[in-house]
Amino acid sequence: MNPRQLIHEKVNDKQLNKNLEYVMYQLQGNRKKLISERYGDWEALREEGKKVKQNALSRLPELLERFEKNATANGIKVHWSKDNDEANEIILNIAKENNINKILKGKSMASEEIGLNHYLEKKGIKAIETDLGEVIIQLIGEPPVHIVVPAIHKNRFEVGEIFEKHLHVERYTEIEDLNRVARTYLREEFHQLKMGLSGVNFAIADEGAIWLLENEGNGRMSTTVSDIHVAICGIEKVVESFDNAVLLNTLLIPSATGQSVTTYNNIITSPRKESDLDGPKEVHVVLLDNGRSGILSKKRYSASLRCIRCGTCMNHCPVYHKIGGHAYGATYPGPIGEVISPLLFGIDKYGYTLNLCSLCGNCAEVCPVKIPLTDMIRDLRNEKVKDNKDDILGINNLPKNNAERKNMEIFAEVATNPKKWQRLMWFIDKFAPFGKPFAPFINGLKQWTTCRAYPKMDASFHKKIKNMQGVKYE
Amino acid sequence: MKVYFFGTCIGSAAFSESLICSIKLLQHFGVEVIYKKDQTCCGQPSYNNGYYEETKKAALFNMQLFSEPYPVIVPSGSCAGMMMHDYITLFEGTEHENMAKEFSQRVYELSDFLHKELKVTLEDKGNPVKVTWHSNCHALRVAKSVSSSKALLKSLSNVELVELEKETTCCGFGGTFSVKEPEISKAMVESKLQDILNQKVEYLIAGDGGCLLNITGALEKINANVKTMYLYEFLAKRIGIA
Ligand code: SF4
Repeated sequence: MNPRQLIHEKVNDKQLNKNLEYVMYQLQGNRKKLISERYGDWEALREEGKKVKQNALSRLPELLERFEKNATANGIKVHWSKDNDEANEIILNIAKENNINKILKGKSMASEEIGLNHYLEKKGIKAIETDLGEVIIQLIGEPPVHIVVPAIHKNRFEVGEIFEKHLHVERYTEIEDLNRVARTYLREEFHQLKMGLSGVNFAIADEGAIWLLENEGNGRMSTTVSDIHVAICGIEKVVESFDNAVLLNTLLIPSATGQSVTTYNNIITSPRKESDLDGPKEVHVVLLDNGRSGILSKKRYSASLRCIRCGTCMNHCPVYHKIGGHAYGATYPGPIGEVISPLLFGIDKYGYTLNLCSLCGNCAEVCPVKIPLTDMIRDLRNEKVKDNKDDILGINNLPKNNAERKNMEIFAEVATNPKKWQRLMWFIDKFAPFGKPFAPFINGLKQWTTCRAYPKMDASFHKKIKNMQGVKYE
Repeated sequence: MKVYFFGTCIGSAAFSESLICSIKLLQHFGVEVIYKKDQTCCGQPSYNNGYYEETKKAALFNMQLFSEPYPVIVPSGSCAGMMMHDYITLFEGTEHENMAKEFSQRVYELSDFLHKELKVTLEDKGNPVKVTWHSNCHALRVAKSVSSSKALLKSLSNVELVELEKETTCCGFGGTFSVKEPEISKAMVESKLQDILNQKVEYLIAGDGGCLLNITGALEKINANVKTMYLYEFLAKRIGIA
């Protein structure tokens, strides 16, 4: 399906819109309430968070090396991967070396980004999702609709149907029943757990440790019950100290779900030690670049790597509410997706998502690490149309929009020429009332009048103000 | 005190009466208004589409036109935001950087100017009426003038302001967004209408021509029983000067 059709389909999916809008406003409300009741100075905290992340990014190579050194000393195996293929291969090899044909996964957007499940499947290894939302969408073969709440587009009735069809149980509609079904299904899988996979929220350089956040306990199962734990970690996740990670965690959780802490905090410092009763025998961290150092080198966009994947920009995006994450066609949807998808995977492939924004600015206002998302979206629109092209992936494959360019040139011409401007106003004043029958044939007006009455124009201002008493008309 | 008045493009093409009311308000509170007849548009249509070079031409034209050190009063948070914030970004590192900085700090959104600079008190002469208010995104987040707009509305003794449940959610206008993504824009304005209708008010008041064009058109299309009015026209009528 081409992007236009996809957007058309999603915007007209009433059930989707209803589900999304309901939950998104609930998440917004939870966040707002918590922040106003429990945080003395949230804005100062955001500023701190921004600094901590920016600082880490400005010393990224140094911190990554420190992380590697300390993690290795702790007994963790650190791998470096420059792209999807390398990361996938590293994970496949770990599985192969240990004769493993089934992996259990905690939630990881990085694994979605590299297409891990699909890759492993082709190599004969099954990757089973264990996060409830991920379980639901895996059953129906869909990608996540949201980076934090991946199946939020499905309500409990729809989930009941999915479980009935794919897990062959009765059709339940109550949350407790659905949880029970999922638990029974997952227990079965956890029994045979040998290799667990997870994402990383913070990689702590000074400690050589990783920190994972979750609410369901499946993450803890995947990372402790297994013999081997593999964590995929985007290189931008590294921070210097434990204190830094705590600060960012304090920003992340309220932003994401409106909780003050997650139910589970898994801070992993090493594989099982001799005196330990449990824990994996091997812990691997796969550091993933996949275009991130490219973003880091671009002054205009490097701040987008501050993202801590809280998802609140999506929760607050009025366009996302209407179309959901799938319409963006990329792993990362919503405002942050509009910024990083074109930069990471090609502006020729994802440049169209930059139109999915009314520039309302709500995302940038709530982003816990103060990424100027709206400005970046506008700047990326500028990349598409400016003459001296910058080095953006896929920029030279973009088709030229000559009609739009012409319009903008005409606009600039008229906006700097008072005679032409006044003639335009005169024209609107004279003829706008007669335009109505032609509206369906005039581009712009045609789209406008699909859901609005023909605009009532009144351009008599110039005439009126000329003779207005007391006004100095010059 | 002398000020420049910047009518905005949507204002002068569709809301002539509201602009006249804006000027009457300023005059009523003792301000002398200068109208530069050569003024055009702040440049947002090209700016928001990423055509920065074209936008610079329009911006420079304005900065040169409003050259005396008088405040520039704009009856729209969207255009005021563009002129007080985005002009600085546009000209950063260019020969016009200082000019942009000087210009931008003289730009005021009209309600901010009335409320914070002139500190006006409004004497409400109208009948009791129930209204609701829609916040323009850039007025709220760039010009940050919404608190002044609402303070003025709330100060009217016979006006009951019923707040929208989702007041700060975009109405779906977004300039060219509304014609580039008509289906999404439609879905957005429909949500806004629902919220407005739920409040059971006589008027929807807004301080921006773009949102008003969008919301008014959508309300008319469904023959809804809610009237809309530009904030400044409403204020002028309430205090009996229009
Ligand atoms: S860009 Fe900001 S708001 Fe969006 S997911 Fe990242 S941290 Fe959260």
